[in-house]
Amino acid sequence: MNGLTAMWRNTRMVVLCSISAALYAAVLIPFKAVPFIPGVTELRPANAIPVVCSFLFGPAGAWGSAIGNTIGDFFGGASPADIFGFFANLAYGWIPYKVWEVISHGDAPISRSPRAIAKFVFTCLAATVLCADLVGWGENLLALRPFAALGNVIILNNMLAALILSPFILIAVYPRVRQGRLLYSDAMPEIKRRPMALRWLGLAMLVGGEAVAWVLGNLLSIGWWTPAFLPAWMNAAPYDKSVAVIVSPFMFLAIAGMVLL
Amino acid sequence: MALYRYIERDTFVHRLHPTVKVIALFVMFWSVYWVDNPLALLPLGFLLLFAAFVTGSGGNFYALRWLFIILIISTTLMWMATYQPGPAAIHVPKVAIRRASIIFGLGKGLKLAELLAASVLFISTTKVEEFTVGLAKLRVPYRVGFAISLSFRLAPLFVDSALTIVDAQCLRGYEFGTGGLIERLRRYTTVSIPVFMGALRKANNMAMALEARGFGRLSRPTTYIEYPFLASDLMAFAALFVIGLLYFLIYWTGYGAVVA
Repeated sequence: MNGLTAMWRNTRMVVLCSISAALYAAVLIPFKAVPFIPGVTELRPANAIPVVCSFLFGPAGAWGSAIGNTIGDFFGGASPADIFGFFANLAYGWIPYKVWEVISHGDAPISRSPRAIAKFVFTCLAATVLCADLVGWGENLLALRPFAALGNVIILNNMLAALILSPFILIAVYPRVRQGRLLYSDAMPEIKRRPMALRWLGLAMLVGGEAVAWVLGNLLSIGWWTPAFLPAWMNAAPYDKSVAVIVSPFMFLAIAGMVLL
Repeated sequence: MALYRYIERDTFVHRLHPTVKVIALFVMFWSVYWVDNPLALLPLGFLLLFAAFVTGSGGNFYALRWLFIILIISTTLMWMATYQPGPAAIHVPKVAIRRASIIFGLGKGLKLAELLAASVLFISTTKVEEFTVGLAKLRVPYRVGFAISLSFRLAPLFVDSALTIVDAQCLRGYEFGTGGLIERLRRYTTVSIPVFMGALRKANNMAMALEARGFGRLSRPTTYIEYPFLASDLMAFAALFVIGLLYFLIYWTGYGAVVA
């Protein structure tokens, strides 16, 4: 997580963080009026912005994603679950460039070869699933909404924006930003990277943890699976306790994987 | 386009110290969290409505009226489907509606509506710079607070430039309102790219201007506007403490729960 803390010492990265957050909020807020599932989430074309900003600005894009979402939440109803929303969006802006660095072998994210497209889809999916898991898990822990209500909608919403909008924006913007030496690798060449083997281990932990957490969160939150080894009082709606006991270890595994990337 | 919904008034709430306002938001979250029973949530709802009336924030609440209604209805239905204890009270073919499910669902709906109300009240009575000062007093690092306040200020500029680009594209015959969902989404790339590039052009100059003004030289820089902590802030703080404690006691004594 070296880059996430080190970027605050770099004025240019602070500005890029603010720009990422403002762009995200600026697209997010007008669409608050277009509900995707009423009362749960709205249509979010803005969700393409964190992915784009992640590839361009790295850690500044990640913080921008978290701050931009928080600003947007103030206009659609802030709640204690927004703390989870903050970290979910931090992960959504953090994972794309970190995963891409591990699997891309130095390619730019604008390559149009089938292999690069497959890697791009995998990268977006890895970021999206952890984002959805964190929000669904957090809201279910606080007994505000079931995991299944948010966990799946966020994946659909984020993937739609990430796959339909962000490639076009990246193709247009990435070469210009690279030419202007505003990419995170140019703005912060001092960022240290972990050994490759450790980063692959982190990726495996991230993908495994988030996938299992997503499946278990869905099964538990709608009562499709009531684990026999848990006492009855834990297996009752709103299923916050069973989600806390069973899903949390996999969430921590995924977060640990993210840290190792 | 006004993104920030601050309403200029000289009321007791507007004059409160920014830290007290941020704490008030946390106390509202804290209080609502502990109870599920709609009856227990009602007093807080009335308090928020009263505060909206006193602070002149009614316009913001009215602007978001459909969001409040949709939020309550959808959340109630969602939890009614998940929480189904005890015997059915109403029998509709293939659906058994339970009394406890309705109360529990309504409680959750009211809870989220009150959280929305608290945040609307907060942004109606708090300026961006007050929010930043509030965060700084709560030991949020200066650079993070600065990034948040700069984002709040830049967002309306980006929205304005996006709207200008939409108008320009419409004049050229581009139609944003036709086609399916995916087609509509794709059309927004023609707006996003110029906005993005315009924003990036500002980045370098902004960074240089900040550093020329000594940005980041001090970890705790002084501010032009000082916010003194007055007796009224202390009273508000005490009232918030009582509200938070009261709601915790409602939970502790079991009155906040929904009994099947």
